[in-house]
Amino acid sequence: MSSDHAPVAAPTRVPVLDWQADIATAIRGADVGAVAYVPDARLRGIVEALAGAEPEVRTLTREEECVAYACGHLLAGSRAMVLMQCSGLGNCLNAVGSLCVPYGIGVPIILSMRGTLGERNPSQVPMGRATPALLSALEIQAFPVTDPERAGATAAGALELAFSTGTCAAVVLDASLGGGREAS
Amino acid sequence: MKPAEAVAGALDETPGALFVSSLGTATSALRLASDDGPHLYLGGAMGCGLAVSLGVAEARRDREVVAVVGDGDLLMGAGSLWSLSGLRPGNLIVLVLDDGRYSITGGQELIASDALASVLSGLPAVSLERATSRPEVAKAIRAIPRPGVVLARIDEPTWPGPSPFVDPTRVRNRFASYASGEGSGPA
Repeated sequence: MSSDHAPVAAPTRVPVLDWQADIATAIRGADVGAVAYVPDARLRGIVEALAGAEPEVRTLTREEECVAYACGHLLAGSRAMVLMQCSGLGNCLNAVGSLCVPYGIGVPIILSMRGTLGERNPSQVPMGRATPALLSALEIQAFPVTDPERAGATAAGALELAFSTGTCAAVVLDASLGGGREAS
Repeated sequence: MKPAEAVAGALDETPGALFVSSLGTATSALRLASDDGPHLYLGGAMGCGLAVSLGVAEARRDREVVAVVGDGDLLMGAGSLWSLSGLRPGNLIVLVLDDGRYSITGGQELIASDALASVLSGLPAVSLERATSRPEVAKAIRAIPRPGVVLARIDEPTWPGPSPFVDPTRVRNRFASYASGEGSGPA
């Protein structure tokens, strides 16, 4: 029975873009122990660049779960962070607002944008449009990345900010960076 | 059995463990049974009790971790059961306070509460035991392979002890100290 339900063969690996490798390097440089993740095309290269060594990447079932998992890690003394698509931000608002913020747990979040420049899926547009306001409503600083040359330094700075000050910080990956669904 | 009796059964068998409680009854019962020990009491984030516990368990593989969660909390975050099965932390026990009701909002019934045991029994790599008394909880905790879920049947419809509206900063600081080995454990 179980073999009937095993995943189908893995898809072809994607090339890792330079900015994705730079973010992976920043994550490793920040001594992160675990990365909780809900899949997204633009984030995939970051995850591939992280493969095979620390930190462990955990593909969980929902963005809210990723945030809570990272909070458990952080409170137990290990650094953790979250990678998600902006459409998942709505799925995790309560975990951020009733766990991260009141408990002072600084979870770094790398958000891949959908619904903006070049988007072809109408269903992605409203959550993409709402993302800056949602982050602002919970007083989460957002650090957009449009220049691939700035990706690594922005990620490193956001990780330091979150871990050192106990406040969540979002790195917002613009569609112009490429690697996302808009281009395929 | 009362919720605090179920939690006491788990505390009896896991000295030095890190406990995490979901909001409401679970937090109130853990505060009561542990004499307000330095545990990770959630005051909100309903549906996140198991997910937080998975993070604690993976961060501290050298410590036993016990998640005390209400059945309503577990249902709201039921996807985390898949993560429990996938991650298979060998140091995590989940104690479910099982009464088929949302106690914190007035005792409304969960939908299909009888489905929980069926789902749990079908999860690869996750053990399941049932308990209806404090000694049964203790026995189950002692014997169950990790990761394991103990379904504890409870029948007290009100908050069993101190307020579940905890001070998050105090909880965070005490738990972080206890988890790091610097703080004192529960009596």
